[in-house]
Amino acid sequence: MSSLSSSLWIAAGALQATEGALDVTSNNIANASTPGYSREQAVMTEQGAIQEGNLTYGQGVNLQQIQSIRDQVLSFQIALETQQQGSTQAQSSALQQVQGLFSSSTQGIGADFSAFFNSVSQLSTNPTSVPNRQAVLNAAQTLSGDFNQAATNLDSITSGLNQTVTQTVTQINGLTQQIAQLNGQVGTLQNEGKDPGVLLDQENQLISQLSQLTNVSEIQSGNGLTLTTGNGSPLVVGNQSFALQTSTNSSGNTSILSQGQDITSAISGGTLGGTIQVRDTVIPNVSSQLNNLASQFAASINSAQTSGYDLNGNKGAALFSVTPGAGAAASLKVAISDPSLIAASSDGTSGSNGNVANLLAVQNTALPGGATPGDTYTNLVAQVGNLTAQAQAENTASSSSLTQLNDQLGAISGVSIDEETTNLVNYQRDYEAAARVVTTVDALTQSVLQMGESAPTAP
Amino acid sequence: MRVNPNFAPDILNDVFQSQAQEQTDLQELSTGRRVNLPSDNPTAFAADVQNQAEQSQTDQYLTNTTNLEGLFQTADSTMSSVVSALNQAISLGTEGSNGTLTLAQQQALAQQVQGIQSQMLQYANTSYEGSYIFGGTETTKPPFVADVTQVAGVSYQGNAGVNQVEIANGRSIQTNLPGSQIFLGSGGNVMASLQQLVNALSSGNTSAIGTATTAISASLNYVSTQRVFYGSALDQMNSNQSYLQTEEVNLQTQDSGLVAADMTAVATDLSQATTTHDAALAALAKVIPNSLLNYLQ
Repeated sequence: MSSLSSSLWIAAGALQATEGALDVTSNNIANASTPGYSREQAVMTEQGAIQEGNLTYGQGVNLQQIQSIRDQVLSFQIALETQQQGSTQAQSSALQQVQGLFSSSTQGIGADFSAFFNSVSQLSTNPTSVPNRQAVLNAAQTLSGDFNQAATNLDSITSGLNQTVTQTVTQINGLTQQIAQLNGQVGTLQNEGKDPGVLLDQENQLISQLSQLTNVSEIQSGNGLTLTTGNGSPLVVGNQSFALQTSTNSSGNTSILSQGQDITSAISGGTLGGTIQVRDTVIPNVSSQLNNLASQFAASINSAQTSGYDLNGNKGAALFSVTPGAGAAASLKVAISDPSLIAASSDGTSGSNGNVANLLAVQNTALPGGATPGDTYTNLVAQVGNLTAQAQAENTASSSSLTQLNDQLGAISGVSIDEETTNLVNYQRDYEAAARVVTTVDALTQSVLQMGESAPTAP
Repeated sequence: MRVNPNFAPDILNDVFQSQAQEQTDLQELSTGRRVNLPSDNPTAFAADVQNQAEQSQTDQYLTNTTNLEGLFQTADSTMSSVVSALNQAISLGTEGSNGTLTLAQQQALAQQVQGIQSQMLQYANTSYEGSYIFGGTETTKPPFVADVTQVAGVSYQGNAGVNQVEIANGRSIQTNLPGSQIFLGSGGNVMASLQQLVNALSSGNTSAIGTATTAISASLNYVSTQRVFYGSALDQMNSNQSYLQTEEVNLQTQDSGLVAADMTAVATDLSQATTTHDAALAALAKVIPNSLLNYLQ
């Protein structure tokens, strides 16, 4: 039956629901700039009705649920794109360091080759001149010094990348621990049929950070979320996290272990994937090309040396010493210090320059690698440039598609101050109106009570 | 339709992009190069490295050419002195063979020819930058020494070797004639014919003087043809120099095409980037404080 008191209860319910909705709005506004926050919505429903004769009375409003607005599919895509972005970012920054070794067209190994052959050519105009011979030795020393420097720099870039790997693994382990903890709580809430809201936001945010670091696969299963990296090595299963370990392998690089198994080559995304890609593929490739160039060039010059005679009429000795193989560029040294030992002569007479032609021929003859020393170096520079440009382009592309995805997600989950302000004003009016109902019912109740007290006196 | 309410990151992104463009343009303007790193344009950068190598090689060819020019000039002027000394010897020989001179006068002439002989020895031992130029590839000791046991009055200590120097890509030039070929040639033996004249004048044998003078004339002709070698080498140096200089200009032009910045375009680009940057900043400033709250009191 309708009554004043039922109106009062409906108004009280409205006040409560509106307070709840104001809470939600206030929380949204408070978190407007919180990264990873998904806006919440107060879901209001009609309270059940009462049937009385022909009349149906509504029973007011009910704040049924506070719902987070999110899109799991988009979040998943963002995580994937973040892995790509993290990887290309790491590759691009590592490659820029490598490119630094080849970034001058007038200095470095390429220019050293020219300077060396020029000094030999200069020697041919006066083969007995000691200053000319000294100039050849100096140019050879600069060349071998720059080879050594390039090898050292590649090594130090590699060791920098190893540090990145170690630090990244530490970060990954910290994140997976936090995610496992949250995952347990989220699972409990979801089993109870509740919206894990804030916890899920935090978890998504952490997964997004994790995606920046390595490739992550998400699987939703009975016992909550499972995260794996590499080719399915577990990071988080339910409320349990699995830490990655690092160890130093035979070549001195840091490898990544999961449950005691080496998964280094399976890591494909994020900072870790990009770093490993450059460290294990690009740098060894550049370094082996440098090593081949150093040892093949040294061998060609040495063989030209031995086909001639030095200033004293003795058979020419090796100009360079080199240990062929992995350490060639680092080991390239000038083997002689006496300028008279340069074998310019082809017949043993001091004034002959007949062997200079053999030395100079190295400049225009293909090494066993297939190109002349200068061209071999130029190819290497072009390769490094291409790889760097490619990584930069991929990074730009994946950054911009990440921006787009984030825009899409923002359109769904982002807090709009305008929207919240509108809601705020609405709820304010609702609250004021409900309060007015309470005062009105109160006044009416007063009137009802006064009805029995005294009959109205005639004026 | 709901749009992403937080568009500040997007605009910020634009601000960063226009800022990066400004930096790139400024770098291009200050270096004058469009390609500063291999990744800017790998192909152009690699071609630039190659081009620099070719330029530096061309520079070296120019240096070689200049060095050789000095050598050839020395050799050519020596040859010219040889020719005039031989002419002088011929006139002495002609004077000695005219039949009116006394033996004493002929012997005086013989002494003059001996003077020419020692001059000739000096010419044959000419050096350039510390190396004897007529000793074949034996350049560290004097190629000719006086030796009375020899018919020519000298013995040759050099060899018959010749040197080649590269003066352009794939182009080498012979840089010397062995002294034995110039001064002791079978087509005209300078040293021997002079000795022959000295002997003839000393003995006063008029017909022998005539024969010796004819032999010197033959040597003169022969040496003159040998001199052509140095003369033409000098000409080649001159033409090679202008060839290399043209080549250098070509290479520099090519290089500019590869890596040089188009200043006008870059300057225009820069002012565009600055405008974009300003616009993005203005948008950011205008949009951030805007919300419904501004209109509610």
